[in-house]
Amino acid sequence: MTRRLSIVIGLLAWLSVPAGAQVTEVAVFGASDLALAFKEIVPKFERALSVKVTLVLGSTGMLAKQIEHGAPADVFFAADQTFIEDLAGKGVVIPETRALYAQGRLVLATARSAGPKLTDLRQLSEPRIRHVAVANPAHAPYGRAAEQALRAVGVWDELRPKLVYGENIRHALQFMESGAAEAGLIALSLANVPAIDYVTVDRALHAPLNQSVAVVRRSRRPELGLAFIQFVNGAEGRVVMKRFGFLLPGEF
Amino acid sequence: MDFFPIALSARVSVTATALTMLTGIPLAWALARRQFPGRRLLDALVVSPLVLPPTVLGYYLLVVIGSRGPVGRLLDGLGVSLAFTWRAAVIAAWLGSIPLLIKAAQAGFDGVDVRLEQAARTLGRTEWSVFWSVTLPLAWRSITAGIVLAFCRAFGDFGITLMVAGSIPGRTQTLPLAIYDHVQANEMAQANVLSLVAVVMVVLLLIGVGRLARLRY
Repeated sequence: MTRRLSIVIGLLAWLSVPAGAQVTEVAVFGASDLALAFKEIVPKFERALSVKVTLVLGSTGMLAKQIEHGAPADVFFAADQTFIEDLAGKGVVIPETRALYAQGRLVLATARSAGPKLTDLRQLSEPRIRHVAVANPAHAPYGRAAEQALRAVGVWDELRPKLVYGENIRHALQFMESGAAEAGLIALSLANVPAIDYVTVDRALHAPLNQSVAVVRRSRRPELGLAFIQFVNGAEGRVVMKRFGFLLPGEF
Repeated sequence: MDFFPIALSARVSVTATALTMLTGIPLAWALARRQFPGRRLLDALVVSPLVLPPTVLGYYLLVVIGSRGPVGRLLDGLGVSLAFTWRAAVIAAWLGSIPLLIKAAQAGFDGVDVRLEQAARTLGRTEWSVFWSVTLPLAWRSITAGIVLAFCRAFGDFGITLMVAGSIPGRTQTLPLAIYDHVQANEMAQANVLSLVAVVMVVLLLIGVGRLARLRY
């Protein structure tokens, strides 16, 4: 009996041993469309303030749920400001720290393997385009914008059989990179990849993709989260964000 | 290339399999040998983790063990956090894999002739001793099959872990989560290497475990 008890105690003791680094100084949770821009901003911030950042990317909806249930995020960059408003209403983020940090741009992308690039949304009806990749309009902000734009030019119903939904915007891009979709509507911030050509979609065709951020209330280092927001919205951050095609606060 | 996910996955899957054995084998035995109210219901319910979409299951688990959930709040008071730690990955892997062990072990226990157990009892063996020296050895082949399936399922868990442990690099990003992350970033070379590592690791571990299992009985 004591042997079995010691197995259980041993297992519990083993479970109490931490895995990996415990001191992450700032945990930044961010929407997938920030993948490339933040890959550049994070090291700059780490150097400037001598802190270590853990970057967790995912779909805004999933990250918001996780933060609501106690995920160790210090700061949350959403792809859509409604998520930040919702979390502020629930007391999950600190309302005073809310800030707009970018407006996303939608692009019409054509896989290079599918021939000459499309320049107008209506061309998605061409027979050579058999699949159109978009993020899921039910929950992904870029997917919603894509649906609005396609409805605005009157091709949504016609295109529906061709649409393939990605879980998030990176997933939609991947459909084109893997050759599964000939065209798609994705984020400008991710569009500079060898596999695709693109043109931007007229902003007037969809509701603005306003992206906002806030510090998480449970954060033990709110000042560092705030510093990261200020860095992204500061001179160094803005240069990078602009280069990846985001419109910046004050420009929209 | 970051090797942390490899070490983490080894740790999580082995720990989860140990936990699955400790909880699944007694439960399978109870389902096979005991009569109690709600047995049929429980018998059907234990497979539910296989039925629900893993991310949804992960979300429910998060609601229970997260900072707002009943279990999460209780543990928070004790200074223990489960969600978004490697322990959460263990629980995720345990939940996803336990039906496989229970069903296999149950079939194993069902196949053991109760007359052999009764014979042991007439020779003065206690229930505990009957279980360890008669029932378990005779059911062991099915149980090992269940352990192998459970281990593989635990190693490969993606959806439940993603929701309840997060995909936090250097902390809760297991091998499947890291592979997915590389694929999403179109870093196919890294994804391919890690996939190969995952398969080789599991094959080596299974060969090792297979040896151990044969040594035992």
